[in-house]
Amino acid sequence: MNFLHASLRAVRSIFIGAILSSFLLDLTAESPTQRFWAFKPLGLSPIPAVESTNFPVRNPVDAFVLDSLQRRGLQPSPPASRQELGRRLFFDLTGLPPTPEEMEAFVNDSSPDAYERLVDRLLENSHFGERWAQHWLDVVRFAETEGFEYDGHLPEAWRFRDYVIEATQNDKPFDHFLTEQVAGDELQPGPSDGARAAIFHRLGPVRRNAGNPEIALSRNEILTERTDVIGAAFLGLTVGCARCHDHKIDPISQKDYYRLQAYVAASQEHDIPLVSKAEQSAWETNNQSVQDQLRILRKAVDGAEETNRIQLKAQIAALEHSLPPRPHTLPSVRNDPVQRTAIHVLKRGEWERKGEPVGPRPLSVLVEDGRPESPPDLARPRTELARWLTDPSHPLTSRVIVNRLFQNHFGTGLVKTPNDFGLHGDRPSHPELLDWLARELLNQGWRLKPIHRLLVCSSTYRQSTHSRQFKRSMELDPENRLLWHFKSRRLSAEELRDTILAVSGILNRRIGGPSVLVPVDRELVQLLYKPDQWKVTADSSEHIRRSIYLIAKRNLRLPFLESFDQPGLISSCGKRESSTHAPQALELLNGSFSNDLAQRFAERLRRESGGDPHRMIDRAFQLAINRSPTTEEQQQSLEFLRGQPPKEFTLALFNLNAFLYVP
Amino acid sequence: MSPDPHAHSQPTRSRREFVRDAFCGFGSVALASILNQQTAHAAVGNPLSPRPAHHAAKAKSVIFLFMAGGPSHLETFDPKPLLNRLEGQPRPKEFGDAKYQFVKEGAKLLGTRRTFSKYGQCGMEISDLFPRLATCADQLAVIRSCYGDRVVHSAAQYELFTGRVVPGYPSMGSWITYGLGCESDSLPAYIVMPDPKGALEAGQPMYSQGFLPAVFQPTMLQPGNRPVLNLDLPQGVSLNQRRRTLQFIRELNRTQSTAEDDEFNARINAYDLAFKMQTESPRVFDLTQESQETLDLYGVGREPTHDYGRRCLMARKLVENGVGFVCVVAGGGPGNQQWDAHGDIEENHRRKAAETDQPVAALLRDLSRRGLLDSTLVLWGGEFGRSPEAESSRGRDHHNLGFSMWMAGGGIRGGQVFGATDPIGLHAIENRVHFRDIHATIIHQLGLDQHQLTYPHLGRNERLTFIEGTVISQLI
Repeated sequence: MNFLHASLRAVRSIFIGAILSSFLLDLTAESPTQRFWAFKPLGLSPIPAVESTNFPVRNPVDAFVLDSLQRRGLQPSPPASRQELGRRLFFDLTGLPPTPEEMEAFVNDSSPDAYERLVDRLLENSHFGERWAQHWLDVVRFAETEGFEYDGHLPEAWRFRDYVIEATQNDKPFDHFLTEQVAGDELQPGPSDGARAAIFHRLGPVRRNAGNPEIALSRNEILTERTDVIGAAFLGLTVGCARCHDHKIDPISQKDYYRLQAYVAASQEHDIPLVSKAEQSAWETNNQSVQDQLRILRKAVDGAEETNRIQLKAQIAALEHSLPPRPHTLPSVRNDPVQRTAIHVLKRGEWERKGEPVGPRPLSVLVEDGRPESPPDLARPRTELARWLTDPSHPLTSRVIVNRLFQNHFGTGLVKTPNDFGLHGDRPSHPELLDWLARELLNQGWRLKPIHRLLVCSSTYRQSTHSRQFKRSMELDPENRLLWHFKSRRLSAEELRDTILAVSGILNRRIGGPSVLVPVDRELVQLLYKPDQWKVTADSSEHIRRSIYLIAKRNLRLPFLESFDQPGLISSCGKRESSTHAPQALELLNGSFSNDLAQRFAERLRRESGGDPHRMIDRAFQLAINRSPTTEEQQQSLEFLRGQPPKEFTLALFNLNAFLYVP
Repeated sequence: MSPDPHAHSQPTRSRREFVRDAFCGFGSVALASILNQQTAHAAVGNPLSPRPAHHAAKAKSVIFLFMAGGPSHLETFDPKPLLNRLEGQPRPKEFGDAKYQFVKEGAKLLGTRRTFSKYGQCGMEISDLFPRLATCADQLAVIRSCYGDRVVHSAAQYELFTGRVVPGYPSMGSWITYGLGCESDSLPAYIVMPDPKGALEAGQPMYSQGFLPAVFQPTMLQPGNRPVLNLDLPQGVSLNQRRRTLQFIRELNRTQSTAEDDEFNARINAYDLAFKMQTESPRVFDLTQESQETLDLYGVGREPTHDYGRRCLMARKLVENGVGFVCVVAGGGPGNQQWDAHGDIEENHRRKAAETDQPVAALLRDLSRRGLLDSTLVLWGGEFGRSPEAESSRGRDHHNLGFSMWMAGGGIRGGQVFGATDPIGLHAIENRVHFRDIHATIIHQLGLDQHQLTYPHLGRNERLTFIEGTVISQLI
């Protein structure tokens, strides 16, 4: 790719950066925390002038990486094969394997820019949005139910998932993307894209309980949850720690934490009807009359004698059952100045122990000393919040998002702790590269696809998993922080399920729409406090859609996904685990999903190979792992198939390391 | 800049570094597979291989008899004669305030219909709800001064299991598995036996591994012939056939992997382990080989004890075979199927006690005679107790400010009552014990230190005991 072009941009960014840094320096006398790397303005290191005979420096990513490798006396690995690269890129950008035909076309494409053209095509592939939306959904703890005992469903929360998929697919600039999620309802009231994005604030767990209300406590829980996710997702700061106490050297004081919370103090749940006014008001009238009767009965229960009480309770239950179903609404938020929570510094984070009142203000480390708080009754407080979150003069938002991209392409971020750029977090392995990428993002108008392109087009990304100097490199850098090879990775839970569906030839590739509830073991549903919440989607062709469309229900996660490290859906997950254990083997060997799909895969192979075992084995390998079997593998497979049914053969393929891992 | 050494959390490095340091190199072989530590590829084993404790352990396993819904302390282990004398009156001011989920200010106090007697050499008072358990009095350490932070089921259940009032944190079973691994290589490390009558308010997240890797997840044991999901072969597949398939998988994997592929080797081993679980665990889950005497002891085959008796007996078999943490839930489904006696404390508690008294006593006796009680810590209790005030005349509301739990075995000094509530059982006033103190004590007995048993999550090194519990030294 065009190194020259990138360099020109770098020069431009040096100019902008110089202005920004001088601006910041004028305003602040740096405190120790402000000297901490994460809060410093984006740096401006020159792109290292390095070269290597076997590692073309294609763009500044490679220059920075090669420079640090050379300083440590390490060598990059040779380039990956076309076959490995194709598989790596398809999974990385779409979460699905290439078809044998796609792979063949790529492997046989001898034009010098074959790889770059594939990158461009996949960045526009309609599955790109789904794949990269999932990363963001992890970060914003996306789920469609409220957790706790009721685990109530927000039936339209899937619209947020679709918003993220579309924004990702269309490369909505990240500053817009952030602003819409934080303040979409303030910018575009009504059932708009903004309201859809603002579902963001409704995605957390919410404790609702019957009986004596604990209004202040519940409100405090909600505001805490909403503030913490903003800190983790956008600032990469675990602001939550400051809720309870100051730390001598923590960059975020308790006061800062509550000032951040003050931006969301007026936000209240707001369910926007998705039906006509007439339908909505008919429901309201109807509902109100039942509610009125219920209220009278409930009052009567309190004073009633036992026999009477039982009768009354039965009546109540019957009436509750007859409540008209609520018309679907968009679970958004809006500001309610009357109900705005007065924000105080809370001693030890306990809502009863109110300290001094505070108003909204950005974190101290990011603004000049002595900057006053805004008045607590700002008309559009979250718009203000979004404005400073996306202000390029503070370095966190851009660093944090480019680090997330880097992590999801390479397995580990330049900062290993993507949600924690604070003092307790990791230090960047390549601080200059991180800042260069952050500047590049700003230069590109916050569009992410150019950054994706830079990363996956680099020679660094195109390295093989196998190093020529494996032992030595492991000794010097066992974690591969310096990127001396490309690390293979296990498919994520969703990729694995989607891939099994895809190679079996039955994946329903429809994009978007309401979430799907697949059939699950009855025993599992019985573990729900309200088992009738699991209403299996009637249309069975929906059950074979991509995993991102399966309902994200906090109190019932699919064992298949859970076992392969799907995050817990409760708090922001910046980086998934990748664990290896026996229940995963049991799931893939004995689980009904893998066995049913192995049967479908076998049927597909029979259809496509015309019953010839050699062709069937070849086709199976091509579909499952994008290469032909070796002679030895061919022999082993033939022998196996002589005694065993084809379904056991296909099941075995689902269980191969070569299937589960991307090179 | 160096971090504050007195800070409650150390810098969060990578999980790999973290766990490596936390275990000082012990068990690095096992951990390598989780952590993809490619240096230790020589022998990559089971990520649940046993790991050395932080200090000498008294107990190896825990059985938590979870009385879901919140059994009343006033009807069981904490006699309050004054409460009976004050029945029908509002709570005297001097006892202070309490917030309930349903009962309103000014409700009338409710005395108990139960009678208490002294049992064992220790002379501990236990109510007539538990005549069989009472004969084990000298093994029990009853804590009468428990308290928690929430008065609603879901939040209180989360706190009881995970130390936090919100979902998303690892349960004690997962923490213990993370800390110690599992002695058995053919059984899951952490098993929950839910009540077949239904689920609980806090749902699955209460038992779960939270942010710990999925390998530390609980295994839910289901009633019926398929106790563990995916442990039995799919229909129409024979064991021999499956053995052949596994062999084929192994052959292909071997030809495709290289020596440095640590994680690949770990996965190959996971299949061996899975097969072992599949072939060996049914023997443990099979209760038909137990003697009639044992079945009778637990009340298996008779109502109302059959179900809980069967599950308690299973718990004994599991710890006997090296399972580290077993939770046996009593109560599930609608409140009245739990200990959640809002409407009629007498009816509810007599029924729940009848279902559980014999099985619980049998478990203690059976563990004891098999020499397992010394190494098995048994914990009994719910997410809270119940209100001194009446709810709808004969019931009791939730109550988190003072209630009873007990421990036995696992190095716990039995035959003692620890702590006290005030004379109407409202507030724990003497030697107050929070859930985190219970957690700290349990893991201490297992040889784990609450300060070392930590895991980095969102910028903090989280631990089971949150803001730190106190090991209850009088109990150990």
